[in-house]
Amino acid sequence: MTDSIPTPAAEADGRILIVEDDPETAAAVASVVRDLGCTPVHRGTLDEGVAEAAAGGYRVIVLDRMLPGGDGVEAMARIRAGGSGALILILSALGRAAQRVEGLEKGADDYLPKPFEPEELRARLRALLRRGTMQVLDNDLMAFGDLEIRLKARTVHVKLTHVPVSPKEFELITYFARHSGQLVTRMQLLENVWNLHFDPGTNVVDVHVGRLRRKLEEAGSHAIQTARGEGYVFAPLPGAG
Amino acid sequence: MSSRRCRARAEVSRSSDERPLKARATWRLAAVMAAAVAALAMLAMGLQYRLVETRLMQAQRALLTADLDGFAALYDQRRIIALREAIALRAASGGGEMLLLMDRQGGVLAGTLKGWPEGLARQGEGFTVDPAQEIARGGSRWLAVARELPGGFPLLLGRSLQPVDDTLAALRRGMLGLLAAVLVAAAGTGWLAARWVMGRIGRVNALADRVAAGDLSARLPGPRAPDEFGLLETHVHAMLDRIENLNRATHHLSDTIAHELRTPLNRMVQRLSRLEGQEEEVGALKAEMRQAIRMFDALLDISRAEADQGGGGLLPVDLSGVAAEVWELYEPLAEDKGLLPQAQVAPGLMVLGDRTLIAQVVANLLDNAIKYCGPGDSLTLTVVAEGGRNLLRLADSGPGLPAGLREEAFDRFTRADRDRARGIKGHGLGLALVRAIAARHGARLTLPEVARGLTVELAFPALAEDGAGSAG
Repeated sequence: MTDSIPTPAAEADGRILIVEDDPETAAAVASVVRDLGCTPVHRGTLDEGVAEAAAGGYRVIVLDRMLPGGDGVEAMARIRAGGSGALILILSALGRAAQRVEGLEKGADDYLPKPFEPEELRARLRALLRRGTMQVLDNDLMAFGDLEIRLKARTVHVKLTHVPVSPKEFELITYFARHSGQLVTRMQLLENVWNLHFDPGTNVVDVHVGRLRRKLEEAGSHAIQTARGEGYVFAPLPGAG
Repeated sequence: MSSRRCRARAEVSRSSDERPLKARATWRLAAVMAAAVAALAMLAMGLQYRLVETRLMQAQRALLTADLDGFAALYDQRRIIALREAIALRAASGGGEMLLLMDRQGGVLAGTLKGWPEGLARQGEGFTVDPAQEIARGGSRWLAVARELPGGFPLLLGRSLQPVDDTLAALRRGMLGLLAAVLVAAAGTGWLAARWVMGRIGRVNALADRVAAGDLSARLPGPRAPDEFGLLETHVHAMLDRIENLNRATHHLSDTIAHELRTPLNRMVQRLSRLEGQEEEVGALKAEMRQAIRMFDALLDISRAEADQGGGGLLPVDLSGVAAEVWELYEPLAEDKGLLPQAQVAPGLMVLGDRTLIAQVVANLLDNAIKYCGPGDSLTLTVVAEGGRNLLRLADSGPGLPAGLREEAFDRFTRADRDRARGIKGHGLGLALVRAIAARHGARLTLPEVARGLTVELAFPALAEDGAGSAG
């Protein structure tokens, strides 16, 4: 269960603004926000949402698109102009690839189409909360116990043994490492590692993760685990396995 | 195997091809106008020439008639004697006429000639001007009256037509010069007029080009002229307004449909997620919903790509790069299924396009091929520059398309019966989306006839690497 992953203290105590006109969806989002230890604040129209964002103190804004008062994507500039430094996750029924790319290009930090799985939203919100606090990785080495990733040399070592990975597998393990301990969904991998914003139908990502996982397991690391249904967890430290 | 060749064509003609046509039309119009004016001028001058010629001849005849009348009066008084004296007098004065009076034996009695011109027939015996005849003598034409007076005295009277011919020659020279001037003037005027007309049409054409390039809100600036061109512009504007409104309505409608469909689906997913203890059932339901949304998105993607067909909003995209990335994503899946995947991607081939759409095309084609092929089948992706186009070809040695399905393979909701029988899932929109996206990019989509399996070819208009391609 994903709930067994300990939530770092830095992620808690945040306020998350939900701008959403559908009460049921808003309630579902609020429930996910509370799961993360944050406080949800709900606004039902775009203007109220923009005003509330300016009032301040939000770490993440979950923004709908087709709202009473306009399109959330078009309002992002107003929210930024209002002085809010919050990260913005667009949660919208406009979920075609072109619309997702449009939203991201216009400055959204993440874009999740409706209908969404609560786990998916949770994973993305957690990633955003983490991003806000993550220290800059200026060193070359990412070490997780006996698993080491050397960024400049683009090599992976387990117990000091070199594990040969393809360039894509290296990008994959780096993305996992940056989100270690979190649920990472297939959709997130497709978007961030392959830069593709549509649902390919088949679970092509699974094959790639499976290969990487086998390579790590052959070297003696059980870092990548399948999370129920929705994705993977990179939990390389002993004690988890 | 059916020998029919299925060609699903999706090509957008480029406006830049029309430039030489326009110039040709201008010249054609100018030439027609010049020819028409010149023909009219020639007709008018021809009539005038005839008139002048007739008048001059009549004048010569009148002079000849007057001479004949004078000689007739003398003849009436004292017959040949008087005639001979008068002719001798006239010949001595050297008036440039042709005069000759002879006796019965053929001796010259008086005149300007040494003897009767050879071959000249004598017609009648009176002093009337008719019948007169034209003869050539001394390098010029003469109007002559040849008679044999009663008693056998041949008489010849002629007037030179040299002045007439000189006048007519001068007239012809003048007319030729005038005709040349008219031709030049008509061609010039025609060219200017054609240029003006083409300029007016060119404005509308330029507007159409801008609209074709995706700027649906483009309009011609300035007031409409109160003529046919102004009316044409008004009509074009009205049509553009209508297209723009329809387009906006279509986009708005598809957004609304998406909103109205996905919002309740979202509520369902949230409720499903709260269910406990029926994971398998919930998972199956969610998979069904995901499938429905994919189909629905594909439909909206198709209609959007069709609405934007030939339009702008495309950017230079590294076709080789996108194809290689998507290939790299699917290759392990193909390997796991026992296929023999192979890729030959020439690097750096640029096209004007939409990266997401191109990635979707490659993903759809690969997904399709992997779905239908079995262990041992080959799967080959080729990206290559060929004949001025950038070609993306995916060939497999799988079952291919069933006979009779080649024609409608790219239509919406086309599915082979054998797939349904074999339980292969799908909604028959993958290839329809491929066609719509190909059309959006002005790419030619073909299914070359192959001995085995299915080969799909997409020929994109090439874009030079500096971005200055012909399609720009």
